[in-house]
Amino acid sequence: MAGPGRAQAADLAFGGAGPVKFLRHLGAVTLVVAVVVVLGLAWNHFGASTLVGGLQASFKQVPPGARPPGAVVLRPGAGGGGPHGPVVIRNGPMNLGLGSMLDPVNLAVLRHTVVIEAVVIAIVVMIDVSRRLWREERRARQLALSRPDDDEPDQ
Amino acid sequence: MNGPSLTSAAGPVSGLARRRRIAARTRLDFWFDLVLLLGFTLAYSYGFTGIAIHEWLGIGLGLALLIHLTLHWDWVIRTTRRLLNPRGPDKVIWIVNLALLFGMTLCVASGILISRVALPYLGIYPLAGPFWTRLHDLTAEVTLGLVPVHVALRWRWLVQVGRRLLTWRSAGRGR
Repeated sequence: MAGPGRAQAADLAFGGAGPVKFLRHLGAVTLVVAVVVVLGLAWNHFGASTLVGGLQASFKQVPPGARPPGAVVLRPGAGGGGPHGPVVIRNGPMNLGLGSMLDPVNLAVLRHTVVIEAVVIAIVVMIDVSRRLWREERRARQLALSRPDDDEPDQ
Repeated sequence: MNGPSLTSAAGPVSGLARRRRIAARTRLDFWFDLVLLLGFTLAYSYGFTGIAIHEWLGIGLGLALLIHLTLHWDWVIRTTRRLLNPRGPDKVIWIVNLALLFGMTLCVASGILISRVALPYLGIYPLAGPFWTRLHDLTAEVTLGLVPVHVALRWRWLVQVGRRLLTWRSAGRGR
């Protein structure tokens, strides 16, 4: 069943049924992603205190009009309190940092990320290689044990 | 790319065409995954990119994640069905990928919800708040640990395809 069935499936996938299949899969993926997002929203609704630590200092709710200089508006007063509701701001000025990639000092941040990724990849690859070697060795040993007479010369 | 004459032709030609098409899919997977890895590395390096590039790159990564999952949805279904098998070979990969799905999705979603440049630029003022900032930081760190594991668990495929692509390139240049 594997050979011709798979060939037909491949033909269908790359032929006229391709876009339909892709859209069907995209729909399923979107649904799964939506479920995860809803779980996140539920977490925020029912157990936000389990996650929020000492970050309150960087956010503030202020009455409309009372905005310190340099503060960035994160949500205008059209939310829960209506047009005259509280304004959510973030303290301190905001820098878009569009030129930060050109500053060689910031390369250290990128290097740091690359090093973490490289180290994790190296560890996983080493574990995988040693596990495979160990498994091959064990298989060879079992094979040798199951055929003890093979080495003896024929009489 | 390939006309109907190739697909409807006799066995060998049809087989060759199919092989060529599957190779094209492998190439797409390889380069797309590489771009995703580079994109994630850049997006995580917030201090390097600055907030504007970080946010737009993050939104792009979210869309790319949807496409990546869609392209591999067959694998997800197949492996999920085989999970009941006690010696299923892809079990570790499946668990890592599930954790990565949660981490990446929540990271992108919380990033959108605390957006200070991209969404306000579009006139959308999302639900900012300490919970989402903390969730974004946490999931970004978890994702940074899981992305290289996700890549490394397929290192044989990556090396194999990378080597084949290099050989193919050098053979093409030699002609």
